[in-house]
Amino acid sequence: MDTARTYRLRKRNRRQTRNALLFISPWILGFLVFTLWPILYSGYLSLTDYDVLNDPNFVGLENYRQLGEDPRVLLSLRNTMFYAALSVPLHIGIALLLAMLLMRARRATGFFRTVFYLPNMTPPVAVGILLLLLFNGHNGLVNAVLGFVGIPGPDWTTDSTWIKPGLVLMSLWTLGGSTIILLAALNNVPRDLYDAALVDGAGPLRRFTSVTVPMISGTLFFLVIVNTIAALQSFTEAYTAYFGAGNGTYSNDAALFYVIYLFRQAFEYLNMGFASAMAWLLFAIIMVITAIQYVVGRKLVFYEGEDGG
Amino acid sequence: MASTPILKPVPAVEPDPGPVPVPELSRTRPKRRSPLKLLLWLALLAATAVFVYPLVWLVSASFKPQSEVFDNRLFPQTPTLANYVEIWNAAPLALWMGNTVLVTVLAAVAVTLSSSMVAWGFAYYRFRGRNALFFLVLATMMLPGAVTLIPTFLIWNALGQVGTLTPLWAGNLFGSAFYIFLLRQFFLGVPRQIFEAARTDGANDWQLFRHFALPLCKPALIVTLLFEAQAAWTDLMRPLIYLRDSSTFTVPRGLKAMVDQFGFAGNWHWELIVTASVITTLPMIVMFFIGQRHFIEGVATTGLKG
Amino acid sequence: MYFKDSCPPSLAPGLARRSRTAVAVAAAGSMLLVGCATGTQPNVTPQGPDPFPAGAELSGVLNIMGYNADADEVARTRADLAGKAIAPATVKAVEGELDVQQFLSAVAAGDAPDLIYANRDQLGTFAARKAIMPIDTCITGEAISLNDFRKPALDQVTFGGHIYGIPEFNQVQIVMANRTLLEKAGLDTTDVDGSDWSKVTEANKKLAQQKGSKPSVIGFDSKLPEFLPLWAKANGADMISADGKKAQLDDPKVVAALEFGVGIYTDQGGFGSVKAFRDSADFFGKGNQFATGVLGAMPMEQWYVNILNDVSAQAPMAFDTFKTTSGQPLSFGSGSAWAIPAAGKNPQAACRYIKTISETASWMAAAEARATARQKEKKPFTGLFTANQNADEQIKAKYVDSSTALESPWKEAVQASYEANEASFSLPANPADAQFKQAWLDGVNRVLNSKASPAESMATAQKEAQAALDKAWSTLEKADADGSAG
Repeated sequence: MDTARTYRLRKRNRRQTRNALLFISPWILGFLVFTLWPILYSGYLSLTDYDVLNDPNFVGLENYRQLGEDPRVLLSLRNTMFYAALSVPLHIGIALLLAMLLMRARRATGFFRTVFYLPNMTPPVAVGILLLLLFNGHNGLVNAVLGFVGIPGPDWTTDSTWIKPGLVLMSLWTLGGSTIILLAALNNVPRDLYDAALVDGAGPLRRFTSVTVPMISGTLFFLVIVNTIAALQSFTEAYTAYFGAGNGTYSNDAALFYVIYLFRQAFEYLNMGFASAMAWLLFAIIMVITAIQYVVGRKLVFYEGEDGG
Repeated sequence: MASTPILKPVPAVEPDPGPVPVPELSRTRPKRRSPLKLLLWLALLAATAVFVYPLVWLVSASFKPQSEVFDNRLFPQTPTLANYVEIWNAAPLALWMGNTVLVTVLAAVAVTLSSSMVAWGFAYYRFRGRNALFFLVLATMMLPGAVTLIPTFLIWNALGQVGTLTPLWAGNLFGSAFYIFLLRQFFLGVPRQIFEAARTDGANDWQLFRHFALPLCKPALIVTLLFEAQAAWTDLMRPLIYLRDSSTFTVPRGLKAMVDQFGFAGNWHWELIVTASVITTLPMIVMFFIGQRHFIEGVATTGLKG
Repeated sequence: MYFKDSCPPSLAPGLARRSRTAVAVAAAGSMLLVGCATGTQPNVTPQGPDPFPAGAELSGVLNIMGYNADADEVARTRADLAGKAIAPATVKAVEGELDVQQFLSAVAAGDAPDLIYANRDQLGTFAARKAIMPIDTCITGEAISLNDFRKPALDQVTFGGHIYGIPEFNQVQIVMANRTLLEKAGLDTTDVDGSDWSKVTEANKKLAQQKGSKPSVIGFDSKLPEFLPLWAKANGADMISADGKKAQLDDPKVVAALEFGVGIYTDQGGFGSVKAFRDSADFFGKGNQFATGVLGAMPMEQWYVNILNDVSAQAPMAFDTFKTTSGQPLSFGSGSAWAIPAAGKNPQAACRYIKTISETASWMAAAEARATARQKEKKPFTGLFTANQNADEQIKAKYVDSSTALESPWKEAVQASYEANEASFSLPANPADAQFKQAWLDGVNRVLNSKASPAESMATAQKEAQAALDKAWSTLEKADADGSAG
């Protein structure tokens, strides 16, 4: 079998593989050192009591047991879920609405697209600060505007009932990115589909539900997954506004998101073992939620080509 | 098959990196819509106000004395530059800026070089296990950062790099899954004949990459540079973890320190915080206006969430 | 006492260079669990009969962390004197406030400073981690005059029978009020000085004003959560036992104090509304709450008198001491202290520096400098409030009592501050002071945010605090036992 031809081919293949691996080697190295090893070591740490200053002390599943006992873990999970459940649908819904408006803005689309994206350039720390200032219950701009139309605004930044809604509203400020993505998806919807729907006598709503939504369902699905994962790991804005060095006195548990609590456990209280266990719980939760979304998504998402377009 | 069930539904990630066409006329009846048209424009203008006004408010407040920060006036009653002078004295802003620029440049360049190399390895070559390996690349995107946070800190600690700027960018030397994915799509979009022709002309593997693949994918490289520059400039968590001494702070870390010091610790110097926020944000806005087209197209074509 | 052997080699196997055990600076002033009371540093406390001979020749460099000698003339004058006292040794300062993690990470990295300036309520945590040394021998060797210092302040730095630091400034509170608002409502300072809580509640209702659903004038600010210890003590309760071992947060008198303090906010629309108003106030400027007439009265730290006097000398102020429910003046003393890191390389110089900077003569020189500076600015000298009682008395007699620049109401403010300083108490030091504080702060915040009733919330806080105290004390005692056995 070892003809000269297959030999040459093999040699070529081996050289190809070698060169490919050379190009890929940075990633392989990075994967081993900064992903694989950390995953394994994090798993080990989650079974220990570890404060950086002293050796890890093996405690078995103790940290996982404490996850269930620490009321803050549950609280921060609830806060995070609440935030995600509220912010993701609003974020995508409004982004879609804006994208559909932009479709009709003709030559001004480019301008508005740029303007809508501008807030995304603001560093999240500054967004956290803007939240504190604009949503101040007493003198903030938001309540001033609400007051103008006769609505007495709540204390967004100090009343624990309104802290999460305030964070959600502030997060909507940066939905320009999703708007642009949806606009691109809308532009890809073939026009003849609308024409066909028109011929069939479909009204605007019907055209929206039976043409637009199915045709961009893949993008919507993608945005749901990406935004959910991001919302579940939300950190900077809430941390800036409600936690940190000078803010120990008014710890506001209403804004305690899961990653904030994890961060504090790890780097402020030096409970590295417990924080590692928290990280694994978060991983499990994200996987489960993504899996559910994926299964549901498969049923709902319409893929062009799959069913013949 | 093995490749990427997770990301398959990403519709915008087509090999075609072309610009998003500005929509021309809407398809339906062009006339008889003036009241609706008016509504459309009002809605768009209202949205514009919501998106832009907070930034205007911020800039305006930075020119107000302490007692007027919350007065919500568009134009300061008693405009002053004092905040900028005071902040310059109160914080080593120039130093922080220098640190941030350094980290930003290194992070962006490192990730662009490494990711493009890796992406090229996946795009051009065929070898056994390629799909499995590439699946692994994509799978790492699903891993929450929290899982690797602590061990990564321990690595840098063991290397004696905690307290330096290194941990903020050096990890980028090993490529980043998202950019690898993005750049691979671009490389795949280039007709293979171009590379075959170059190869017959005697280009070796490195030259093929350096002189043909890279220049052909310049737009994607720019997008990578810009996105990573933004990410590096605005990051807070890593500077919180890795930087101890205020002389090594990046601007967002310094801004957080100022919030802690002037905001909560009983001082309420909001006028200084507002000013520092403007200074932190401004470079990003400038970068956006310079690279505007790339940002918007990058977002649109990659399906990146902003 | 403690030996290197009692500290296990640090960091994960194969990971670490022991000396580089750095701790992330997550946020300054945030707390650390006292999980590693076994310590990480060899003890270098000089042993022998007299490790700190008073006349000994000093040498080398003294690295100081956390002290800003250029803050004002009071700091400068004393730092100069102390610097001279340790010559030919020289001072090298890392300025800025002491960052807990920065300090501990430096200790862990074998890079400890020789002297630190920290909050007194941080020393328990440091001592428990063996990051700072007991200075009993320093006190006897350099003949530091302990009798000059206030007992509550010394208690705050005394830990397991050993003194770990020399206290410096003493921060006390007095009641500050807007005289015009009081008069308009037919009240005076006795209604808001805390001596009668029902009067305070009534006064608050009279002073507070609403506009729409928002407060437009804060009647009385009870300054929760941070002043709970003050209100509790005023009601006759100690939040922690004198030996620092038993939390007493569920004491009915503590709960009653919390109920009262929260009630003040509830009566004016809730803590959220008051805090939102307070957050947006121009606290340090001429538009402050007193000058603009939007705050009736509050207990507040004495230093705020200086601010008010600087930016709004014409504000219609009234001052008085804060009082217990039986009418006695009371203040919750807190402040800074000097301490010597266990791994410091120049303990003798550190000790003499401490002695000099905190002794009466240095305070007198500082007062002289301050008085001169204030005179130049044509502003009154409002006294110094330190943990050195002897110094305070001499300064008061020499510069304050004779001063003619002091007019009403600032004169009363200074008077009240001195009285308050005499009547200050502190929470005893303990190895879990950071967690203890967090437990009661969280307890108060739960009530302020309407998440729990005062009794429930303080019961939870009590459980958390006691668990932390038990753990910290047992780790500490175990480490001490190991240390003396080894």
